Amino acid sequence: MPELTVLESLNAAMAHALETDPDVVLMGQDVGKAGGIFRTSQSLQERFGATRVIDTPLDEKGIVAHAVGMALYGLKPIVEIQFSGFIHDAFEHIHFCAARYRWATGGQYHCPMVIRAPSFGGIKGGFWHSQSVEAYFVHHGGIKIVAPSTPQDAYALTLAAVRDPDPVLVVEPVPLYRGMRGEVTLDGQDAALGQAEVVRPGSDLTLLTYGAIRHVAARAAEQAAAQDGTEVEVIDLRCLIPFDVETVIASVKKTGRVVVVHEAPLSLGFGAELVAVIQDKAFGWLHTPIERVAAPDVPYHFSIGDEHYRPGAHRILAAIRRSMRFEF
Amino acid sequence: MASQPHPAPTPRCPLADARALGIHQVIGADGLPTGDLPAPDLPAHALRRLYETMVLVRALDERGWTLQRSGRVEFWIPSRGLEAVHNAATLALDDEDWIFLGYRHPGTLLLRGVPLTQLFAQFFGRYDEPCKGRRLPTLMGDRRVNVVPMTTQVGSYIPHACGAAWAARIKGDRRRFLAMFGDGATSRGEFHSAMNFAGVYKPPVLFLCENNGWAVSTPTSVQTATATFAEKGNAYGVRNVRVDGNDPLAVYAVVRDAHQRALDEGPTLIEAVTYRMGFHTSSDNPDRYRGSDEVAAWEPWDPLTRMRGYLEHRGLWSAAQETALWARCKSELQSAIEAAEAMALPPPESMFDDTFAEPTWMLAEQRAALLDDLAQGPGDA
Repeated sequence: MPELTVLESLNAAMAHALETDPDVVLMGQDVGKAGGIFRTSQSLQERFGATRVIDTPLDEKGIVAHAVGMALYGLKPIVEIQFSGFIHDAFEHIHFCAARYRWATGGQYHCPMVIRAPSFGGIKGGFWHSQSVEAYFVHHGGIKIVAPSTPQDAYALTLAAVRDPDPVLVVEPVPLYRGMRGEVTLDGQDAALGQAEVVRPGSDLTLLTYGAIRHVAARAAEQAAAQDGTEVEVIDLRCLIPFDVETVIASVKKTGRVVVVHEAPLSLGFGAELVAVIQDKAFGWLHTPIERVAAPDVPYHFSIGDEHYRPGAHRILAAIRRSMRFEF
Repeated sequence: MASQPHPAPTPRCPLADARALGIHQVIGADGLPTGDLPAPDLPAHALRRLYETMVLVRALDERGWTLQRSGRVEFWIPSRGLEAVHNAATLALDDEDWIFLGYRHPGTLLLRGVPLTQLFAQFFGRYDEPCKGRRLPTLMGDRRVNVVPMTTQVGSYIPHACGAAWAARIKGDRRRFLAMFGDGATSRGEFHSAMNFAGVYKPPVLFLCENNGWAVSTPTSVQTATATFAEKGNAYGVRNVRVDGNDPLAVYAVVRDAHQRALDEGPTLIEAVTYRMGFHTSSDNPDRYRGSDEVAAWEPWDPLTRMRGYLEHRGLWSAAQETALWARCKSELQSAIEAAEAMALPPPESMFDDTFAEPTWMLAEQRAALLDDLAQGPGDA
C-alpha cells in the first residue's frame, strides 16, 4: 500500500474518477495548468485534457452555476473552490439550485456534483482563508456534506461523493493536506456516506468530532487516558449530512457523557444539532450536560487564531474533565 | 438656479423608430413588410400555428387573471403583450434544443405539445403535473419536451443554460440551449457570469433578453446606463443583436440565425424590445409608477394585431377564421380549467419526496412525524 499525503490521495481519487467515468469533469480557478493553488489537481490536465480539467474565470458564483448546468445535462462536475471562505458568492447556486433542482422540478432534473471546499484553520491564513463553512449548508436538505480527515478517507469519501446521485460538499482538511501521511488502498473503492469511524474506543465518555480537528481531539483523549485514566471514545463523523446517528447514539448510551468538538463557531455549529439529537434520542442515558468545544463567534484571527481560535488539546481535555467531574 | 417647469414629453414607442435604434423588424405596426429583414421562409401552416398560439396565450392570460381575481388561482404573472418573443423563439429552435423558461412563457410548452390541462394543473397547484404542485403558478417546465422549469430567482438560471450547453458540447451532442430572461435579470451577477464564461468558452447558447421596459416598478433607465442591453455583449466578446420583440417574424429570424451559428460560432445575446402591457404580477399595481399614456403608445404595436395583419396581407387569414379561433381558445380553456380543477392536491407527505435521491434518516423521521400528526386529526385548532 502506498503512503500518501491527503493531497496525493485527493489527486488519486480525482484521477480515478476522471479515468473511469467519461462524464466527470474538474473545474475551478487554476486547477488546470497550475494544478490548483494547493496542487491537488497536479498533472490532471496533462492526463485528461483541457476539455475535462477546466481553468475558469475568477468567479465562484459563475463556476458553481455553470457546474449546475453541466450536472443538469448529465455531466458530473467536480468543482474546486480555492478556499471555503470564498464559497459564499456561490451560496444561491449551491443552496437554491444544486440542492433544489430535484425537488423543485418534481424529480425531473437533478444535480449530481461535487463541491470541494478547502477548509479549517491552522495554516496562518487569516479570516478568509481559515473558514469552517459547513454549518451554512446543513440547514435545508438536498446536499450531502462530508469531511474527510485522513488520507484514506480523502480518497474513498471523494470517490463516494463523485458517485453519489446528489450534490455533495466536501470540506477538505487544509491543515492536513501536506501535514498528514498514511497508507491508502488505491483500489477504486468508495466509502459509504453516512458512516462514522470509531477512532478510539472508550467506555467513559463519547467525543464527537470531524475534520482536521479530529486529530487534536484524539490527542486530548490520549492525554485523558494517560493523566486521568479516563477512557474516551473518539468518533469521527466523516459525514455530517447524513450523520451516523446509530453509532453516535449507541456510544452515548454506553458512556453517558458527551463532548462535541469542532473548529467552526459555537452558535448553531454542527455541534448544536448533535446536542439536540442526543437529548432527543438518549436523554435518559446522560449523566452530565453535554460539553461543546468550538471556536468563538468571531472572525479567525491571523496572528493568534491557530493557537487560540481553534480548539487546542488543552481546551478539549478541560471539557472532558468538566464532564467527568460534573455534579448535579 | 430654478429649472423651468415643462410638460412631460408624450411617451413614444421605440418600435416606431426601430431602424434608427438598430432594432430589426420584418413587419411594421400594420403587419406589412418594412424592408429591413426578409420574412422568414415559413410554410403557411407554421405561420398560422404561430399566430394561433399567440392568441391562445392571450386568451389563457385573460382567463388566468380572472381566475386569480376570483380566488381560484393563488397568484398570476401576466403575459399580455409578450406573446411574440417566446412563441417565435420556441418555433425557431429544434425540438431537441433545451429551453430555460422564464415565467411569462406558457406558449413554449404549448408549442412543444404540452396539453392545456397540464398547464392549468400547475396553476392550480395540483399533484399530477411534472413539478407535483410545488411551485408558484406559471413557474413550470417539462423535461419530456426539454423545457427546464425556472429557478424562481430572476436570472439565476442563465449560467445553468450556459453550463448545460457547455456540457452538451463536451459530450459531443449537437443541441442548442436557450435562456429567456427579462431586462432586470441583466443586473444580476449571474448574467455577467454567463456572458463572461460564454464569451471565453463559446458554448452553443442563446441568451434572449426580453426587454419589456419594466422590472416590477424599475424602468430600464434605472436598470442600466447603457443605451441598449444588447451592447453589453460587446464587453464579453459575445455576438449581439436587437430585435423588435412585438414582431414575431423578426424574433423568429434572429433566433433562427443565432441557432444556425451556435454550434460553430457559439453564443448570441438577443435583446427583444417589447413591453409588459399588464401588471408585473397579480400583487402589483403599475398605476403607482407608470402612466397610461405609455401603455397607450404601445397599443398600436400589439403583436397579435401585427401578426394577424401579416397573415391577412398574405391571404392566409380571414375574419371568419379569427372568430372561430377565439371561440375554440375559449372552449379549450374552459375544458382544461374544469379538468384541472377536478384534480387532486398533493398529499402532505409528498413534500418530502425528491429532496435527495434516497431520503436521509432525518427526513424519514420528519415524514413519519408528519404522518403521526395527520393520523391524530386536526384536534382543537
